[in-house]
Amino acid sequence: MKKAITLLVGIATLLLACNNDESGTTPADPGNLNLVFENTVNGASLMMDAMTYTNSSNENYGVSELKYIISNITLIKNDDTEYIYPVADSYFLINEEGNKTANLVDVPADTYKAIKFGIGVDPTKYPIESGTLNFVPLAEEAGMLWTWSAGYKFLKFEGTYSNATTPDETTPFLYHVGSHGATLDNYKEVTILISELQLNSNSTASKTIQFDVAKIFDSLHTLSLEEKNEIMVDPINAPKIAENTSAAFSIIE
Amino acid sequence: MKPITYLIIFLCFCACSSDNSNGNNANTGDDDPAVVTNPLLDFTVPSNFPDATYSIIQNPPTEKGFELGKKLFYDGQLASDGVVSCGFCHIQSFSFTHHTHITSHGVDGQIGSRNAQPLHNLAFMNEFTWDGAATFLDTQPIIPITAEVEMNETVSNVLSKLAADDDYPTMFEEAFGSEGISADRMFKALSQFMVMMISANSKFDKLERGEAVTFTDEENAGRAVFDAKCASCHAGTLQTDQSYRNNGLPVDPEYNDIGRERVTGVASDNRKFKVPSLRNIEITFPYMHDGRLGTLENVLDFYTDGMVDSPTLDDQFRRPDGTLGLDITTEEKVQLIAFLKTLTDNDFIEDRRFAEF
Repeated sequence: MKKAITLLVGIATLLLACNNDESGTTPADPGNLNLVFENTVNGASLMMDAMTYTNSSNENYGVSELKYIISNITLIKNDDTEYIYPVADSYFLINEEGNKTANLVDVPADTYKAIKFGIGVDPTKYPIESGTLNFVPLAEEAGMLWTWSAGYKFLKFEGTYSNATTPDETTPFLYHVGSHGATLDNYKEVTILISELQLNSNSTASKTIQFDVAKIFDSLHTLSLEEKNEIMVDPINAPKIAENTSAAFSIIE
Repeated sequence: MKPITYLIIFLCFCACSSDNSNGNNANTGDDDPAVVTNPLLDFTVPSNFPDATYSIIQNPPTEKGFELGKKLFYDGQLASDGVVSCGFCHIQSFSFTHHTHITSHGVDGQIGSRNAQPLHNLAFMNEFTWDGAATFLDTQPIIPITAEVEMNETVSNVLSKLAADDDYPTMFEEAFGSEGISADRMFKALSQFMVMMISANSKFDKLERGEAVTFTDEENAGRAVFDAKCASCHAGTLQTDQSYRNNGLPVDPEYNDIGRERVTGVASDNRKFKVPSLRNIEITFPYMHDGRLGTLENVLDFYTDGMVDSPTLDDQFRRPDGTLGLDITTEEKVQLIAFLKTLTDNDFIEDRRFAEF
């Protein structure tokens, strides 16, 4: 009997939740928020191909491709409550040579103090529930899917490098990091504090998030290209890259 | 939870869908007399089966969703050459595998490195493919559609072809209650078709359920051997513990297939492959991940005398004297095969619902 009552209460709640048009007060109209991702090295905008940079292992590297997936965006309000952006619409491909903005539309007008997002796609969630299936074509066109595995590349980072002793000899490098089932989970979430963001009705605000490319090599862990220049399905090194990557985001204000 | 509870919750969700896009069965047709009805299909877990792993409540099969999934399954447009459909390698009369080639053929006569697995009881599996490269049934089709040696196509291009087709736009609308062809809907429809493919009417099933069948003495003896020597891996009603193991197959240098290690990157997974369900095993030859063994006799001879050692070989195959293999007598092999044939489900392979034509 107790179960039946619980069920009834549950149903009533569900039904009430449907009547969102009939509440007495009309909330303020929502606004829009553009999250602009700027890929940098040591504080300056990343220059693809044209520039070489040096990592802490004293290796010179140039970047030919940089893409990553942003997902599960949540905005944290001043009162610590959260606005979870509709999950199925929260997958964005950030491409140094293409789109670098996550356009969030119809965000409730409010005051926000932090932004939380995922890097990659949460592999533990059922794909229908997390709404990732419609992201497949975009990820596929960008080469962010593995053909032998039903999984995403969360980060695709490629280029060439040389070491100090043979500076004229360049060798390709390739980091492809993703999750492979539940056994090798490289999905990460980061929270970035921002100065108070007052999102007004019917207006579009913008926040720039910096991604420091140098931190892919040097952050919580140090990765040397001489030691390994091709990292994909790698239970030792891929998690290090994922951790370094998650520490590479900061706000520019 | 009882089925009625599922139904009530499902109806509540339907009641919430103001635009019909989520409610698969919400095509009420109040305004438009042309709108077709789309009843839910009866997905019932056989009484001798474990719970389904697939989340039926999130993608409940409907009549129109199933029809759409079936059309997609048998449609060569999902491949770059317009010919190699899912059903090209997954043929119903062989419990949705194929016999003609040892490893499977793809577009342009390309040959893969593995043998197509049979498709049955997928709603009860935790992971998919020989190495578990797909964690969810809804994303599994990405692999064969995009693999060069299989269908060599892109999901985007498949969607474009479907949108330009005479039939698909209407079928998607009927299945999902609103206009629109999307990847989400395509994969959902394929899953709706595949989760209905339940094989649960073999002699073995009927015996498990206490229906009016009896095993012969030979089948009973085979079952006893199976329980003693095979069931530690081929466990339970579906004859698989769904783990990945190295069973001592010599490495074929042509493929040098590292198995599960490709998915996990872990050396201890080298040469491990999924323990397959033995459902319909009589008709799903050739056997092993690369189809190298043609008969059940070959398989049992391999298990007694054919194994080679490697660091990841499953310990169950190490005999106390240091040799490798299982101890099964010639008489026991005959009995085992008699038992394995009780797993054949003729109702399933003749079920018109799944038939191409």
